[in-house]
Amino acid sequence: MLRSMRSASVALLAVLALTTFAASQVRREFHFSVHHRASISIFNQYGPISVKPVSGHQVIVVALPHSDKVEVDENHSGNRVAVSSRLLPGADAESGRVDYEVWVPVNASVILHSATGPIHAEKLHGDILLEGNTADVDVRDLSDGHVHVKTLKGPVTLTNVTEGHVEITSVSGDVALNSVSGPLVQVNSTTGNIRYDGDFGESGEYSLMTHTGNIDAITPRYASIDVYAHSEQGKVENDFLLEPSHTSLAARAGSAFAGTVGKAASSVKLLSFSGRIHLKKR
Amino acid sequence: MGCEEFQQILSELEDSYSLEQEQHLKICPRCSALVAELNAIAREAPLLAEDEDPSPRVWNRIEIALRQEGLIRDSKPAPAPVRTIRWGRAWLAPVAAAFLLIFGLLLYQRGGMEPQTRQLVSGTSQPVTTCCSPEDVSAEQAELLKVVAAQEPSLRAAYESEFKAVNAYIRDAELAARRNPNDEISQQYLTNAYEQRAMVYEMAMDHGPQ
Repeated sequence: MLRSMRSASVALLAVLALTTFAASQVRREFHFSVHHRASISIFNQYGPISVKPVSGHQVIVVALPHSDKVEVDENHSGNRVAVSSRLLPGADAESGRVDYEVWVPVNASVILHSATGPIHAEKLHGDILLEGNTADVDVRDLSDGHVHVKTLKGPVTLTNVTEGHVEITSVSGDVALNSVSGPLVQVNSTTGNIRYDGDFGESGEYSLMTHTGNIDAITPRYASIDVYAHSEQGKVENDFLLEPSHTSLAARAGSAFAGTVGKAASSVKLLSFSGRIHLKKR
Repeated sequence: MGCEEFQQILSELEDSYSLEQEQHLKICPRCSALVAELNAIAREAPLLAEDEDPSPRVWNRIEIALRQEGLIRDSKPAPAPVRTIRWGRAWLAPVAAAFLLIFGLLLYQRGGMEPQTRQLVSGTSQPVTTCCSPEDVSAEQAELLKVVAAQEPSLRAAYESEFKAVNAYIRDAELAARRNPNDEISQQYLTNAYEQRAMVYEMAMDHGPQ
């Protein structure tokens, strides 16, 4: 009897706790009608943002605030949708957190900002701009649109991103590009490491540049590249037998290699001021 | 009345004619034609006065043609009095020195030439990566860090380390650019370094008072 009463009390307390927790998280859902190539921006100081495509001309935003110290504001003007988290006095990284899930038309332009993240975008064809301080940025299965990513420390991972311009700037976050190709692929970092795993496409300009980070470029033997790699102070390694190429960039102090593989369809620059560079054959 | 007499008084006539003059006009085709012509001229003359003057291009072309023929020349200004003091090119040296001094001071203030890097420039052939010493945040950045800390104290340390990292990048990039001023890669490093710092500033200011 005593045991059953104790169990009932525990259950009641659990229910009360869950109810209280649920009350502080009021799920908000927005639906917007838009036209072709809509522009959607989500500004969220704390918390994750995930964006996926949806059929039709609509934008769906589901926001889950973690406390009553943050409110969600929305603005819809014509073909532009803006949703932002507004912190109230006393909010911090925990109480000010909002979890966003967003569905947009596949060709919409998307701007996402979250200081803490993570930020996720997938299967879109429009231009996207992702910004985060320490946010973990993950982008996959994008094509045709331009991809711009800026982080301070947050790591950046792009997977299967093709046919658009890719520009990534991260001060100290590591950047990983897996099967990324396009007319322009540019990565700039100060202390972060850069890893590229792909074939560099059929034509394009690739520039991977860092101050003290290491650069690892892994590419298959059939890659067709005109490559120049240089490090002022670090080592450079190359697994390919390069054909010599005419370049004015080779005559510099430090360690370097330059040459072509295959038909030299794509131009590849691997530059690290004091880090190590390795062009690996997969 | 004969034609000679009629034409002598014609200039004195206005719109009205005497009976004798009218009869002469009726029987004399020569005088009537003359009167008709004079009347036509009198009608057209006011219209000619309303025509615009020739466009300036016409006058320009006339001027050019006259100059080519040497019929008009520019009047030379009176020569200025000759100064006895000749400066020559001696003024260039102090001006260039002042410019270099100002440029150097600006670079120093921006953290481009810390004392330890000055030694490196004179001594070694390779740059040394100077990173992350406590002095590597400028006064301006220190102020911005205070603003960030006021809004979000937990981010202050992160921004401080980012500022130090990009400052070190800029120092190394500037050294390399000075050593190889025409080198494309050095210029690219410098551009990237400043872009990185600009991004840190931009993100830090996003944390400022809303």
